[in-house]
Amino acid sequence: MTKRLIAGAFAMLLSIMAWAGEYDLTVDRVTIDTGDFKKQGIGYNGSSPGPVLRFKEGEEAVINVTNNLDETTSVHWHGLILPFDQDGVPGVSFPGIPPGETFTYRFPVVQAGTYWYHSHSGFQEPDGAYGAIVIEPEGREPFRYDRDYVVQLADKHPHSGDRVMRNLKSSPDYYNRQQQTVVDFFAESRDNGFMATLRDRMMWGQMRMMKADVEDVQGFTGLINGKGPEQNWTGLFKPGERVRLRFINSSAMTYFDVRIPGLKMTVVQADGNNVRPVSVDEFRIGVAETYDVIVHIRDEEAYTIFAESMGRSGFARGTLAPREGMVAEVPELRDAPMLTMADMAGHMDHGSMDHGSMDHGSMDHGSMDHGSMDHGSMDHGSMDHGSMKQGDMDHSAHMGDTQQDPFYASGSGLLPKASNGGKFLSYADLKAQSPLYEEREPTREIEMRLTGNMERYEWSINGIKYEDSDPIVLQYGERVRFKFVNETMMTHPMHLHGMWSILDVDAGQWNPIKHVISVAPATTVYMETEVDAPGEWVFHCHLSYHAAAGMFRKVVVEGGPEEEVVTGQADTQGDDA
Amino acid sequence: MSADKYLVATLSAALGLSLLPAQVAADMAVNAHSATAFWGVSAEKFEYRYSDSDEELAVIESDAWYGSDELKFRWQFTGEWEEAHNAWETLENQFLAQAPIDDFWDAKAGIRIDTPEGPDRVYGVIGLTGLAPYWFEIDTNLYVSDEGDASVDFEAEYELLITNYWIVSATFETLLAFSEDREIGVGKGVNSTEVGLRLSYDLIDRSFSPYVGVVHERKYGDTADLARASGGGTEDWFAVVGARLAF
Amino acid sequence: MTITRFIAAAAALSFSATAFGAGTHGHGHGQNAAIGEPAAASDATRTVTVAMYDNYYEPETIDVQQGEVVRFVVENHGQLVHEFNLGTPDMHEAHQEEMSMMVEHGVIDGGRINHEMMEMDMGDGHSMKHDDPNSVLLEPGQSGELVWRFSGDTTLEFACNVPGHYQAGMYGDVRFQQ
Repeated sequence: MTKRLIAGAFAMLLSIMAWAGEYDLTVDRVTIDTGDFKKQGIGYNGSSPGPVLRFKEGEEAVINVTNNLDETTSVHWHGLILPFDQDGVPGVSFPGIPPGETFTYRFPVVQAGTYWYHSHSGFQEPDGAYGAIVIEPEGREPFRYDRDYVVQLADKHPHSGDRVMRNLKSSPDYYNRQQQTVVDFFAESRDNGFMATLRDRMMWGQMRMMKADVEDVQGFTGLINGKGPEQNWTGLFKPGERVRLRFINSSAMTYFDVRIPGLKMTVVQADGNNVRPVSVDEFRIGVAETYDVIVHIRDEEAYTIFAESMGRSGFARGTLAPREGMVAEVPELRDAPMLTMADMAGHMDHGSMDHGSMDHGSMDHGSMDHGSMDHGSMDHGSMDHGSMKQGDMDHSAHMGDTQQDPFYASGSGLLPKASNGGKFLSYADLKAQSPLYEEREPTREIEMRLTGNMERYEWSINGIKYEDSDPIVLQYGERVRFKFVNETMMTHPMHLHGMWSILDVDAGQWNPIKHVISVAPATTVYMETEVDAPGEWVFHCHLSYHAAAGMFRKVVVEGGPEEEVVTGQADTQGDDA
Repeated sequence: MSADKYLVATLSAALGLSLLPAQVAADMAVNAHSATAFWGVSAEKFEYRYSDSDEELAVIESDAWYGSDELKFRWQFTGEWEEAHNAWETLENQFLAQAPIDDFWDAKAGIRIDTPEGPDRVYGVIGLTGLAPYWFEIDTNLYVSDEGDASVDFEAEYELLITNYWIVSATFETLLAFSEDREIGVGKGVNSTEVGLRLSYDLIDRSFSPYVGVVHERKYGDTADLARASGGGTEDWFAVVGARLAF
Repeated sequence: MTITRFIAAAAALSFSATAFGAGTHGHGHGQNAAIGEPAAASDATRTVTVAMYDNYYEPETIDVQQGEVVRFVVENHGQLVHEFNLGTPDMHEAHQEEMSMMVEHGVIDGGRINHEMMEMDMGDGHSMKHDDPNSVLLEPGQSGELVWRFSGDTTLEFACNVPGHYQAGMYGDVRFQQ
């Protein structure tokens, strides 16, 4: 044990020495090799992903970014609390970095944890312009580990971001190769009966909606730290060690379900903030989220880090091994989930929804129940966990069995299950390790209906695309409650820049602090924000092609210590180069 | 084919091609905050038809568009090159503006210029295109020609996915005229129907999907009479081989 | 809360391990001789203060000698409920299942212990009392005491088995000095 501690301390010392507060980053055209294909992309310091930037809480970060591209670029420090003019959103925080020029970012590091950085210009991020940020805390971590690794996930597509967007606009199902087929029809008929299957198809067809509409952009190769499944990124450990894995989902579009068969993972941070440790067998990481987990590895064996995309169209794979070259079995992809009528409920016009006809439709298909049809108005905030304590133990014990998760519509086809039947992390499990803010009543509520038209690949907030929208104006010092109502069939990871998103899991002051709030189809999710950062920010869906299609807002914080902030019209052009 | 017909065909092709680099450049510059303008070039049909009466036709139906969610400009080209006569049996260019009127439907308006072998026509077009319940793709248009004749066409397509790569596409097209235009072989009433069945395989993404299929064409009523009078047939079965293209 | 008052409270917490059929759980006097046994405070030759934080201990290693009787004063400086439990890694693992049941049933809820719930009859005469002599369960701000006679030289850890805490690193090593 002593030896281990000394080794650990030495490793810490080495990494302290590496914590330069100042970095030089060049933005370059690079070749990306996933093992499945090679493509031209964008990277930092000659590679994609870029280098891991390490800082220490309390120091000043200085990053000199030199643009070697022939187009404007930018770097956004995802999840970092900083002055708005350092946030790196072209057209909002600053004009962007023109070709050939160097921009120096300078900001105090006021937090610790795992974050990431990426370009906020065009589709440079899906094209490869991303990297990890690790910030060591001033004090000790509230957990222990012997070594740590960044595990940065990405969904590398052979097409350029521009091409993907254009194809989606031409044909929204361009990349969807999981659509229901005639072959599926007959397979399903065998299981559920011909008429039931036909009715099911007719009902979805009548609505012009696809049950298989889980992943917009398929055909990618899942990467871990830039390496494809065959290239097998490997992290080494010594048996007996506790290893901290800093999972970052830097995908353009893909949610991953992550597991390490044979190991329990104890989640200790979400989005860079400490959470009460919770041990899980598997977790779903939304686009742009981070989760830090600790695994305690006793045996001298190799373990596969397996990250299946939520729609099961691809996966990322890496290995934890005592020696280089050791591998463990790579699991098969599980069956692709299908959306259910429950996931549709938010999409449907409640006024015209005909419950009667639903009964004759797919009701007998088994994928929905009456309860699930009503939750356009379902209120997760009002879930009273407290009442479970009062009494009926059998009831609460069963909660685990039925694998309810208040963050999915009841009966949702997307409800995740651990592959080993064990514990799958829910947002409801996330509790702040220590409250960051005093709890207080929000000053007001702002509703953000997440809206879209899949057939046109249009995405919007409250039915209005970014280009047609006015900014959301907040007052410095207020606490705003945001109400997300997902009226689409897709899951949207909503990201507010500059200020924390306090996810309402009905835990009061223990509600977790995040920077991305994932909102599943047909659910209503609340978050609160202490408006403590003056300036101009943005708030958007972090799916690259949803953001570009209009699910994006400018946010203006009025007032505050620095009054020089100019309130203006929504900048529709951004960094149009 | 007369010189002016070549001119129109060449001009329209040149127009489309010369626009492309500018469109590509604009697209490259579109930023992540608000990607507003897009383009697409595709050929739903690019095929060779062999009829049971030894007629051979090369058929192209292509579509190029540029624009935003709110407004698109389209150039739709339909050409049928008849091998035996070395002539365009059909040569049709439509230039349209298209805007959404509903979640699933777009209205369009523009002009259609027909310059095949034989007399030319220019039409005003208003149309409706979109996705009907049960996944039927519909396209229907009202044409009024420079001769004052009105007609309506209607096209429906249904794609049946055998697998996610093998796709059977069933098409139905019909033309209905409100008045006779004898010069171009159009009779009053239902003119013709074309029913097609094509089995395609997506070989490269959705960019290149070779297919084989059968097409049945039939002419009706006055139109059939006009066809017979000019020595043509009124019903044909074709075997087709071709590819669906998209760029 | 004074220490003595809390000892009484801690003694009242009776965790009936058999309720969950955890046979590996070494509860009661001398059932697992290797880990040692509780002793009277008067036998203690020294006092070790262990501070609990969210979620770690200070110190994280304790040196003892075979046969030594140590009085542990455990103080919870955190904002969450924590445990100080002496045992082997296997014992901790078994105890963690019991503790997660306590959390599931609301006996432990973040920073509070629901004593009423803890005493509640589970239906077959069992309850979720937490009264093992090798363990102290503390709410934030509380302190407690445990006197232990260390016997054999075995792999001993002191650990907090509130779900997730041990896994996150809330444990320390007991090292036997020669």
